Amino acid sequence: MSVSRDEVLRIAQLAELDVDEDALPELVDNMSRILDYVAQLSAVAANGTVKAFVPGPDAIRFRPDEVNPPPLAFGPAEFAPAFKEGFFVVPKLDQFE
Amino acid sequence: MSDAKAVADRLVKAKRLNALLTPSKDLRKSLAAQEAAARPTGVLYGMPVSVKDNICTLEFTTTCGSRILEGYQSPYEATAVAKLKAAGALIAGKTNCDEFAMGSSTEHSAYGRVLHPLDKTRVPGGSSGGSAALVAAGAVPAALGSETGGSVRQPAAFCGVVGMKPTYGRVSRYGLVAFGSSLDQIGVFGRSVHDAARVLSVISGRDPRDSTCEDRDPLRLPTVPESLQGFVIGLPREYFPAELDPAVRRACERAIRLIKELGAAVREVSLPHTPYAVPTYYVIAPAEASSNLARYDGVRYGPRFNGSADVRSLYRSTRGQGFGAEVRRRIMIGTYVLSAGYYDAYYKRAQQMRALIAQDFRNAFDRGVDLLFTPTVPSPAFKAGEKLSDPIAMYMSDIFTVTANLAGLPAMSLPIGRVKGLPIGGQLIGQAFLEDEMIEAAYALERVVPATEEA
Repeated sequence: MSVSRDEVLRIAQLAELDVDEDALPELVDNMSRILDYVAQLSAVAANGTVKAFVPGPDAIRFRPDEVNPPPLAFGPAEFAPAFKEGFFVVPKLDQFE
Repeated sequence: MSDAKAVADRLVKAKRLNALLTPSKDLRKSLAAQEAAARPTGVLYGMPVSVKDNICTLEFTTTCGSRILEGYQSPYEATAVAKLKAAGALIAGKTNCDEFAMGSSTEHSAYGRVLHPLDKTRVPGGSSGGSAALVAAGAVPAALGSETGGSVRQPAAFCGVVGMKPTYGRVSRYGLVAFGSSLDQIGVFGRSVHDAARVLSVISGRDPRDSTCEDRDPLRLPTVPESLQGFVIGLPREYFPAELDPAVRRACERAIRLIKELGAAVREVSLPHTPYAVPTYYVIAPAEASSNLARYDGVRYGPRFNGSADVRSLYRSTRGQGFGAEVRRRIMIGTYVLSAGYYDAYYKRAQQMRALIAQDFRNAFDRGVDLLFTPTVPSPAFKAGEKLSDPIAMYMSDIFTVTANLAGLPAMSLPIGRVKGLPIGGQLIGQAFLEDEMIEAAYALERVVPATEEA
């Protein structure tokens, strides 16, 4: 096992995911197998001179700095779970531990 | 009978495949309205194109095959969709897919699995399995899918249709729900090379709304060539391993014979870092996914689950219940490889390996090879449920497709034969922004290959 139950719970916290107690053993097993599998990358000699590769344009192009209306067919009130007077409605932050 | 009605009838007839997520009534209503509004001068006038459900449309909801976006209506549409409509195409419903495009079998959709059109006990491939199945069933001539690691080419191979992934930056990603942003591209399925190519040509080209989309004119389609004289086609030896399914090998050998008969020079090449492509992909893609999917927290989109206690529990319960098992697993892996203490061992190493994989391709192309030919998938379509309990076995079906995504290259799959009635795909991988050469070779090969005959 390359990850323990406690590590999986810690990662779930970082990822903001509730994990069911019932689903935990399978998740620990699957994550361990996947991490063992991808660990073969560390068997390859680390070469400090190899630069990371990302496809796409070499430099980010900038758009003209103009104020345009958002290209939306309708506003956020239509798709937010709750929206009031121009704001998203979320539970109160003072309930946040 | 109007065209819109005929299109809707064909799609509704294919309902048993569970390939379309749009309810029949909504589909009929929208198609009739779209037909009335379509520009008759467009190059795709009247052509129905179904769209994978992770590409935003104004006509239909966009759920990404996930509960967390159930009923979500996007307030804007993808550039690719806007370009299709401007060309006169009809957006023919949203297609079922693996949740957030994470999967290789379309079994990981919150809305049920998609059936293979030729054998309902098998999977159509994934993650764009719904798009592939609808084109294969003859319901639409073309459909949009998306690729992060082979999600267009792999289902195209399984279903016996053409699937094209353009160069990274050829098609705007604006409105494609992000999974792995450095890998994602919108791709196209077609009944024929020409159907796929003309849709790709329409959706390609610059877009100020996507800074990773290259400032280039839309793709120009080549003419159908008489021969492949002058082409040098490379066969990477790592893509023909000893354990390759014998029927896949037979189909590829027959296609290679035909490529030679068309006048192309065929040369063996080596892409030595290929064995590391899948582990590299399964570090980089989940890392990017864990970041991209952080936005689904029950606050801004979709349903909330048990969100009354406090913000933290709103996030956790919405994400815990809203995401399916495969998506949760990948978010967890991505969070792990990016976390303090593991970043260098996993993520940095994977980034370096990605560079070496891209360099392998450059070396092959620098030695005078124009295109590479390989099998698309190591085996024909597998049985539903066969690989569900073993995530690594599922990941291995992407072994020949992830490399083009890692290197950002254009690639396509076309049917090259069948084994026991199941389609086999052959893959062409081209040089960056030379889709026209890849399409030219595909036109020639498509004309001579007995795509529906046993290999």
